[in-house]
Amino acid sequence: MTAVEVELTYEHGRWRARGAGLDIVHAELRGIESQLEARLATPAGPCEVRLGFDMGALPRWLHQYHGHYCNYTLHVPPRGGGA
Amino acid sequence: MSTNRRWTSGMLATEDWWSVWIGLALFFAGLLALAGVDLVGWAARPKPWEWTDVTGAFAWSKLFSAAGAGYAGWHPLLSWLVTYAVFTTLFAFGAHHQRLDVKRFAFGFTVLYVVTWLTWIAGNELHLTIVNATVDGRNRYRDAALSWGLQLGEGAPFLLALLAGLALGNLTRRFAARLAEAAKPEWYIKTAIVFLGVNLGAQTIQASGFALDLILAGAAATFVAYLFFWPIVYTAARRLFGFPRDAAAVLASGISVCGVSAAIATAGAIRAKPVIPVTISMVVVIFAMLELIVLPGAYTALFPDQPIVNGAALGMTVKTDGADAAAGALLDELMIARNLQLTGQHWQAGWILSAALLTKIWIDVFIGVWAFLLAIVWIRNVESKSGAVSISPMEIWFRFPKFVLGYFVAWLGYLAIAVAWPALGPKLASGTAVVQGPMRTMLFMLTFVAMGAITDFSKLKGMGKVALLYGLALVVVIAPIAYAVAYLFHRGLMPPLAP
Repeated sequence: MTAVEVELTYEHGRWRARGAGLDIVHAELRGIESQLEARLATPAGPCEVRLGFDMGALPRWLHQYHGHYCNYTLHVPPRGGGA
Repeated sequence: MSTNRRWTSGMLATEDWWSVWIGLALFFAGLLALAGVDLVGWAARPKPWEWTDVTGAFAWSKLFSAAGAGYAGWHPLLSWLVTYAVFTTLFAFGAHHQRLDVKRFAFGFTVLYVVTWLTWIAGNELHLTIVNATVDGRNRYRDAALSWGLQLGEGAPFLLALLAGLALGNLTRRFAARLAEAAKPEWYIKTAIVFLGVNLGAQTIQASGFALDLILAGAAATFVAYLFFWPIVYTAARRLFGFPRDAAAVLASGISVCGVSAAIATAGAIRAKPVIPVTISMVVVIFAMLELIVLPGAYTALFPDQPIVNGAALGMTVKTDGADAAAGALLDELMIARNLQLTGQHWQAGWILSAALLTKIWIDVFIGVWAFLLAIVWIRNVESKSGAVSISPMEIWFRFPKFVLGYFVAWLGYLAIAVAWPALGPKLASGTAVVQGPMRTMLFMLTFVAMGAITDFSKLKGMGKVALLYGLALVVVIAPIAYAVAYLFHRGLMPPLAP
């Protein structure tokens, strides 16, 4: 099992995932996840992608109310294997 | 970059954590009184004054002075300047670590501080505050020989601060924009709430059964309110207004749970585009201000004999911590003054505020759990991706309001010392009196001014359906149910009389 960390932001109406040598942009989060799966899946084994949202991308005035948006883990199955 | 990865993330980088550090630093400074050292008595506090007396023979000492007996010899202006210097330094230090522009912060803070003090001093003029009532055979209104009076009690400075802040934010928008770096009502109120932990500690010692009732009833009422508010507002947003699922969920949380923080937490949990909570948060902030303006006066006028019910209802109705605590403080003062007028009995200050605050704090505490559960339900049932995506329980901690930790530390710390060493009680009370007295009130005043300065009512234009739904839900669902639930759990509870 390999694990990579990716920074998630929302800029100019699109999601953006950066890290582990990747820089992916898509209007929908599902689109980001599909691209991550396509790029990180290997026959060697499953991969765990930890997505952490960068609060710096939200307006500064909002931060005083809440300091966190979302983090989650995407489980990428091995290429050619089952989920 | 500000991404929460470890449990320590944000400890030096968020307003939330800095309210804990500043609040506890001053609390512990106050505790040094136990060793005979007064490190907080320099704090300035205004005095009640009457304008013909002050204009007839002016003296600064008639308007304000140092709060601590050990600093009685200080010139009032020195005390005022030291208070300014200490608070500016502490908050600017925090601002530096939050990567704010420290120069802009110091400028904004200075303006807010000056406006705060001008309104605080003006609001202590006897024609605004003093109530025409006889307590223990003495009528201070008649003693002062006043020909008229608004009789607002200690609520007068809060109302003036609110008006001044709103004037800044709505009549001088360009200037108010220059204050934005320091206009952080949530930071100031959260620091004040840490100080209020001392108040709860003292209340627990004075009337432990009543304080416990307040804590438990607040928790129970919060759960009941959660169960009603969210589904009703979500359903109304979906069926009556045709909102998409994600917007309806974020809006339902913003309106019914704890305002902006709930909107952001829910949006994160359901992985909505951040533009949704940003838009909804703007509406929440403006409506919270409207609630702050309307509800304390309305509850005082309509239900003058239900102090604790009013406080708890406020805690469930007013969104954002700043607006809730500010409204609670205003309600506390207005209710005390009104009861004094009606019955000649003087309720002890702080209990109504505690009722408002404890209900809100329970709501805040459980937002992380609520968002975590919602995230799991959403991923499994709405997105149908349970196998590919997982959420860590650490999300609960990331969403936990950290200022609550400071509140609990101050509360339990005070309680532990008072219980373990009863002989130290008087020293403990006098040492922390400045922290939970003038320092806390000053931060409340700063909150009123800062909140007014960032509230631009013109932003409601163009909010259309969101603002309409928010207003309707507030009037038809949230306020009535909150009051009914508060009545169910808090009826019969009355604040003790002031000694």
